[in-house]
Amino acid sequence: MSEQAGYVPVVGAVAEPQPAPEKSYRFSEQAIQELEEILTHYPDKKSAILPALWIAQREYDGYLPPQAIQEVADRLERPFVEVEGVATFYTMYNLRKRGRHHLEVCTCLTCAVMGAYEVVHHLEKRLGVKVGQTTSDGEFTLSEVECLNYCGAATVVQVGDKYFGNITKENVDELIETLRNSNEFTPADLANAIVRLHIPERTAKK
Amino acid sequence: MADVPMVNIKINGIALQAPQGEKVIEAARRINVDIPFFCYHPRLTMENGANCRMCLVEVATPRKNPDGSVVMAKMPKPQTACSLPVSEGMEVWTETEQVIADRRGVLEFLLINHPLDCPICDRGGECPLQNNTIHYGPPTSRFIEEKRHFPKAYPLSEYVVFDRERCIHCARCTRFTQDISGDAQLDFLFRGADMEVGTFAHTRFSSRFSGNVIELCPVGALLSRTYRFKARPWDLMTQKSICTQCSNGCNIKIDHRVSQLQRVNARVNEAVNEEWTCDRGKFGMDYVSSPDRITTPLVKRDGEFQPVTWDEINTLIIDRLQEAGAKVGGIGGTRSSNEDLYVWQKFFRQTLRVNNLDHRMGPHFRPTNSGLYARFGYHSMNNAIADLEKMKTILVFGSNLVDEQPIIYLRVRKAWRAKGAGIVEAVPRSMKTGEEANHVGEFASVRLYYRPGTEVALLHGLLNVMLYENLLSAERLGEIKNLSIVQNAVKSWAPEIAAKECGVEADAIRRAARLLATDQMAILAGETVTQHPYSEDILNALGNLAILTGNPGNINVPVTENNQQGAMDMGILPDVLPGYVGLDQPGLNTKQMLQGAVSGEIEALWISGVDLVNRFYDRDLARRALEACSFVVVTEHTLTETAQLADVVLPTQSVAERDGTFTNVERRVQRFFKAFEISPEIHPEWLIFSQLAMRMGGTAPYFSARDILREIAASVPIYQACTPRDLGDQGVRWHYPAANHTADLVGVEYRAPAAVSA
Repeated sequence: MSEQAGYVPVVGAVAEPQPAPEKSYRFSEQAIQELEEILTHYPDKKSAILPALWIAQREYDGYLPPQAIQEVADRLERPFVEVEGVATFYTMYNLRKRGRHHLEVCTCLTCAVMGAYEVVHHLEKRLGVKVGQTTSDGEFTLSEVECLNYCGAATVVQVGDKYFGNITKENVDELIETLRNSNEFTPADLANAIVRLHIPERTAKK
Repeated sequence: MADVPMVNIKINGIALQAPQGEKVIEAARRINVDIPFFCYHPRLTMENGANCRMCLVEVATPRKNPDGSVVMAKMPKPQTACSLPVSEGMEVWTETEQVIADRRGVLEFLLINHPLDCPICDRGGECPLQNNTIHYGPPTSRFIEEKRHFPKAYPLSEYVVFDRERCIHCARCTRFTQDISGDAQLDFLFRGADMEVGTFAHTRFSSRFSGNVIELCPVGALLSRTYRFKARPWDLMTQKSICTQCSNGCNIKIDHRVSQLQRVNARVNEAVNEEWTCDRGKFGMDYVSSPDRITTPLVKRDGEFQPVTWDEINTLIIDRLQEAGAKVGGIGGTRSSNEDLYVWQKFFRQTLRVNNLDHRMGPHFRPTNSGLYARFGYHSMNNAIADLEKMKTILVFGSNLVDEQPIIYLRVRKAWRAKGAGIVEAVPRSMKTGEEANHVGEFASVRLYYRPGTEVALLHGLLNVMLYENLLSAERLGEIKNLSIVQNAVKSWAPEIAAKECGVEADAIRRAARLLATDQMAILAGETVTQHPYSEDILNALGNLAILTGNPGNINVPVTENNQQGAMDMGILPDVLPGYVGLDQPGLNTKQMLQGAVSGEIEALWISGVDLVNRFYDRDLARRALEACSFVVVTEHTLTETAQLADVVLPTQSVAERDGTFTNVERRVQRFFKAFEISPEIHPEWLIFSQLAMRMGGTAPYFSARDILREIAASVPIYQACTPRDLGDQGVRWHYPAANHTADLVGVEYRAPAAVSA
């Protein structure tokens, strides 16, 4: 559990208050436009924290460093800690840098029955990491997740914005090799896909 | 509240009436039915509330059947009494078997992660969790798993330590920072079993009101860093007192043990501080138990201070004062009680027969009864602090409000948040606040950060918009004499021109003018106005603004020192007696006295409770004067820089060691009481003056501060209502006998800041 799914502020990691992180805004022109459009969907800016965090997760390479939280908070005129509270509440926001590919293996009932744990253990051996950790070359992060609602193709592995179904310990190596050579299916792609859900009529980035 | 309809409810079979919308827990409290709670707090919003589930009660409400008969329908599940409003016919039960079982269950859950380290917890003995567990909780827990572990005593802010293990997630502290202090630095992070209170990215909790969360916390999670492990609650004695750190006069409780101040807690006074304190007050009162306190009179011989007896020192002082004759001056007094000040000025005026008394530290020494008083009939702050809540618009002008008037700042924020008042902040650019915690700019509707020195231009711009966009009531304008003076003065100050001069946006001036052109508008002017070279111009322009908007009684130039208002009232001024009775032959003001000391016209100076060297605006002059003056008496708690330069230093009692009264910024005379004694050799100031006066002139001595207060009430008309008995715990505000609210407009010419040095 030591590095479970990327909680940055590991409690007890700091003995006393830290200096405020330096601000650096990274939202692109397009991101700002998207945020403005999303803001028109809600009665107040507070309501837009979730989609704004998804935009930030895309703009900040698939995770939310404190700067990303600050930028969202500033753009929505909310207190920093309120946005951090939201970002730490939901597990799909990454608070720590992920590998280039984030392997999220479903280990819920159906997948577990279909050998999900074999897949997880195989991946742990193959990648040399435990669940929740990232390989030293920064390629893969391995996570266990709850039901991905794709039980028909158990075992399912979500990588970025793509589901890979019918994964077994035999064919998972092939998936790893495919991903190694692929620039798609990154955490930022997932974030972009979710931003796109908020702006259906527009073609979002990429 | 009179027009709120009342509804009939029953609590535990007791019938009562409650105003509609009142929460069940409040109604129950009125009839002394005990409902335990943790997260409920009447001053905090219910957003994020009702989360501790401790106040569960069973409720039934009347329901009409289709055939017209009415039956009592019981709600299927228990309800939280803190969030449930009463309704007609409601019946509530607080002691049923179901409720008792629910409370046990809730407490068992709340204690799952609680470390139960009460024996070493500062809160032990005054802890709602401890008390409620003993009264309502299960005797044991079924939880045998490992509890959460966090580091103990995390230093959350400069004054607060945080123990996450003890936290029960009631959200009182987070709601406080969001609702009351406004810095919004605390919130919940993570979720479920991992949830914790935290700050953004582990930054410091930098609120200026952080100490309040210690009192709000219903468990021992948020504790004081200064009080930690110092005493147990049952060892403490408590005395009612008044905070001395600023002019707001917060009501506080001094908790003391073995003649030492252990901590300061807030005391409720709805008219002043409600139940809040600022960190300066809560943690800055340590000086009363400082090890540096002087405990005997000191006299300087051969450059060294030597302790002497009071008898000896009084003889010396009398000799030297008689030598000096009329060449005596008295400076200071903003920290002394009204009784001290009254006896001091009486000693000077009746025994020594001089009027050289002043508490002002500069740079302006105008006649007391001129300026604002001559025009409007009041000197400093005319509105009550609580009145600010009733305002539609508040103009914070040239004031770093949270530093100068922390509790007024909280009222202004409450006016905005709870009552929807519009706030206009107009301050010099240097006061523009960015990321800092607690500033008016956080919630101000319009922010005007002007170039220093252009205040009058800005006010002209505002009046220009009001007059030429017809924002003011024509009826009122018709009644105002010499309107043309102002019309002519502001005619050339169209918002664009004023904006360019002041370095603000013309649009912001327009928006500000629209907000300000209303009745129920109050002006809060700060120190940059009173210390401005052209402060009279600014005050005149603010006066014009107040008259034209119909708020001549709402100009406030609050004083900033602890008992500065009392020093004014008691006549620690060269030109007035107590009660602002003018003198024909005024004495010397602070600056003249110090200059006199340098030139030899003043031979003896009495400095009362002020670190003159560091507080007087011209440090060099103060130092030279004290060095040149042949006899300097300083009454002080500790050997300050000023006291080091004195010939005689007399120890005086702090607020914790004596009785007395202070007059706060809104002219509320408030009593404080003796909590403990440090040494019998430390005298209150009134006793020092009283003894000197008795030996010099044979006047009758005073025996207690109460005697003096009675004499003040009898002899100073404005303090007529301030007898010891009438003051009570909450104090009494005195009023100006004839405030002139039909003042005339005054022409104000703008003088460009180029002429203003620095």
